[in-house]
Amino acid sequence: MFWKFLDNIESVICRVLLSGFVILLFVQIVSREAFGYSFSWIEELSVYMFVWFVYFGASYAAKMSAHNRVTFQFKFLPDHYIKYIEAFADLFWIFFNVCFLYLSYDFVFNKMNKFWKSQTLGIEMKYIYMVLPIAFALMTIRILQVNYRKLIKGENIADPDQIDLDEIKAATDAAKS
Amino acid sequence: METEIVSILFGSFLILLLIGAPITVALGVSSLISFLYLGDNPIKFVQIAFTSVGSFPLMALPAFILAGALMEAAGISKRLINVAESLAGPFTGGISAATVMACLFFGAISGSGPATTAAVGMLMIPAMIDRGYERGYASAITASSGGLGIIIPPSIPMVIFGIAALGMAPPPEAVEKFGTFSSVSISKLFIAGFVPAFLIATSLLIMNYLLSKKRGYKGVAEGWSAKNIGCEMYRGFWSLMAPLVILGGIYSGFFTPTEAAIVAIFYTLVVGAFIYRELTWASLFQSLEATTWLTGRVLLILFTATVFGRLLVENQIPAIIAESMLSFTENLYVIWALIIFFLLFVGMFMETLATILILVPVMLPVAYSVGIDPIHFGVVMVCTLGIGFQTPPLGENLFIASGISNISIEQISIRALPFAAVNTIAIFVIAFFPELSLWLPRVFGY
Amino acid sequence: KNFKIAVGDGAGGTQEALGKAFIAELEKNTDHTASLFLNGQLGSEQDTVNEAAIGTLDFSILAINNVTPFSPTVGTLTLPYMILSLEDAETLTQGPIGQELVENTLRDSGVRIIGWAYSGFRVLTNSKHPVKSVADLSDLVIRTPKNAIMIATYQSWGVNPTPMAWSETFAGLQTKVVDAQDNPYITNYAMKFDEVQSYITNLRYLFSIEPLIVSEAVFSGMSADDQAAVLAAGQAATTFSAQYLRDQESTIKATLQERGMEIVDPENNEEEFISLATEAVWPQFYESVGGIEKVNAALAAIGRDPVK
Ligand code: NA
Ligand code: NA
Repeated sequence: MFWKFLDNIESVICRVLLSGFVILLFVQIVSREAFGYSFSWIEELSVYMFVWFVYFGASYAAKMSAHNRVTFQFKFLPDHYIKYIEAFADLFWIFFNVCFLYLSYDFVFNKMNKFWKSQTLGIEMKYIYMVLPIAFALMTIRILQVNYRKLIKGENIADPDQIDLDEIKAATDAAKS
Repeated sequence: METEIVSILFGSFLILLLIGAPITVALGVSSLISFLYLGDNPIKFVQIAFTSVGSFPLMALPAFILAGALMEAAGISKRLINVAESLAGPFTGGISAATVMACLFFGAISGSGPATTAAVGMLMIPAMIDRGYERGYASAITASSGGLGIIIPPSIPMVIFGIAALGMAPPPEAVEKFGTFSSVSISKLFIAGFVPAFLIATSLLIMNYLLSKKRGYKGVAEGWSAKNIGCEMYRGFWSLMAPLVILGGIYSGFFTPTEAAIVAIFYTLVVGAFIYRELTWASLFQSLEATTWLTGRVLLILFTATVFGRLLVENQIPAIIAESMLSFTENLYVIWALIIFFLLFVGMFMETLATILILVPVMLPVAYSVGIDPIHFGVVMVCTLGIGFQTPPLGENLFIASGISNISIEQISIRALPFAAVNTIAIFVIAFFPELSLWLPRVFGY
Repeated sequence: KNFKIAVGDGAGGTQEALGKAFIAELEKNTDHTASLFLNGQLGSEQDTVNEAAIGTLDFSILAINNVTPFSPTVGTLTLPYMILSLEDAETLTQGPIGQELVENTLRDSGVRIIGWAYSGFRVLTNSKHPVKSVADLSDLVIRTPKNAIMIATYQSWGVNPTPMAWSETFAGLQTKVVDAQDNPYITNYAMKFDEVQSYITNLRYLFSIEPLIVSEAVFSGMSADDQAAVLAAGQAATTFSAQYLRDQESTIKATLQERGMEIVDPENNEEEFISLATEAVWPQFYESVGGIEKVNAALAAIGRDPVK
């Protein structure tokens, strides 16, 4: 149960954040149009929630192996070669993430100005930027996890763009019968 | 110095793409290598990661994706398409013409090409096959008109174009030569796409008429049924209101595009939960989840593409590209042709949103320096990349159409060629006559 | 060396004018030159402060309210109605108070202020009717940037401003999502706000100051001669900027009136606006700007009575 929750952590966080900023923005619209009143902090808070949503979402996309690659050049290669080539390419991804992890940690904890606060909420920007080291660390784990599943466990991780297609097939078949 | 950095940046980018690295990784790693080569501190990446994504207008992206997914789940899309299908008349190629219309209708609530193809194709491809259409043809017309989804507003690629172009002011030399350029806004792009979408739809309808005549596809025997149309319109009333809510809100200036999408989300929730009663908790969760990974993957590219673009700007590379292009030719029509063919080529292989993010920083300065209006450029760019949905090897619409009809992608893409051809002609018309794109925004006072 | 200067605004504004004047002086007295990157091409104004602090950017010209988050005492200059004229602004920035702020900024954030651009008061424009009193504001939807002091000031006048991104502001005014906004004359003119707004009120609650900062890491790496030349160029550019504002503002006012805008002054010499804003807003910010003494020192420097 706990592991299942942990394995879905990005999805949970993102659903909360997404619903959160969508509702906040709706409140702002209604309040402005109906009562002529604007909450000065909503724009800032929703943008920060959105940034968190994006980077956890990027980690979630990594877990689903959803990040777009150019693959037409592999068209005539057998599948089991492709996964090794892609795993090799993923080494560069891990390299990038590790560098970025170091840079963002250094920025947030050492280089960032200590007075820097958000304009309307007054939260220290340090806490808001914290999403970068956290999400990129998580994303790195997901890349390793995906490659472990593909290379060692031999699983076939479906392209999530493909999932839509199967659903459509099922739905069309259902509609026909 | 500049040529070296260009070869390192683009060289490592292409190599990484070829070995199958995700696009975002190819952009990020090639930029990182270039930073290290230049002796610059890559700590800049951190702030760019935060500020490239942290902008209010960008929130239109997840909002429109979520609105589209919810409309599907709530049964709004289905009813819209039913209305279009009821319009299939007694004339030649009636039902396939209705497919084009359905894509136009559906495009007015969805911001995505593949989503349009999927939603319309699911209902219309089987309907066409039932009436004796060849499977390949039925799939090809759907895949081809699915691209309308991103030209008629709302449009996710236009949101992305707007974001990419917002921070790019015209170079002073261009302003001196052509006067001030109009400003870029997402609302304005949305309005500008309206007339071109109808032009492209018309070109598809004409080609459909010609091909249907040749293939002997007759209209429905019973002809138009006012009762049927009225009945579908009545049943689809709340669905037909959806595009009005979105577009009316934006065009009247009542809402920003982000807000229009937010309102559309709540409209859909109400219609789906209380009127159509088709929306379930499970499908709501699924919509949230799909929005999550789709947004995450696109905006991770936005981050790395911004770093990539920053490198280009700091080394003044777009200016160099513009100069060398201008030394080759100053003829506006030749430059348009080069731009369109280049985009068609790139669109064959690359995912649309990534293409926009990568190419806008390079191509928009070129456009400015020959006096092209940025809104006009954006419309042509999005229309041209829309064709990429229907061309192999990476044609999202083809994949979906092929999945529905069980016909190979090769067969569909051959049938889709005539449509791609008329589509391209329409794009040249849109490119050569800027007023087609710029007239409507002016009427609305932008 | 060719230095990079980040500029938040576009072409034709005070920031660019200051930058050009600075580069001209720099080229005259050193072997170095610099390029301006306009329109935030090198990142948002706040980002450039961090970059300069780390040493990945050489210079930046930005609005003072984007320096405040990194060195709160600078906020003294952005308290509403602290500055009542261009002369006040020159006295405060170029005198001992300004020197203290320069030192504070250097200590707090690792960037050195070497010049000041003056953009003038943020005058209120709107599309509905002339605004002369606080009561006239009540039926206006007013756009502000998301800036705590500006929001608090409008609230002290009984208005809830709508924070809106700069990129959406023109369209917002045009389509009447918002009725009003405030910006200096130069900005209102450059943005062609006269096309969508009809009335101007000469409010003086905020005087726009745009410092030119240099990365201390970059500055301390220069030879003593170059350092002196950079400081002198900053000083020369500052002097130029004050004259530029005087020349520009009078021409722009005349042009805007020709184009049909109605320009009015607030009634009773702005007293109602001033007392409401200073009483309600100042106390909220005493602590962050370093105490009420700092505020009184600034007031004394421009010959005004201290507050309690
Ligand atoms: Na659309
Ligand atoms: Na393609």
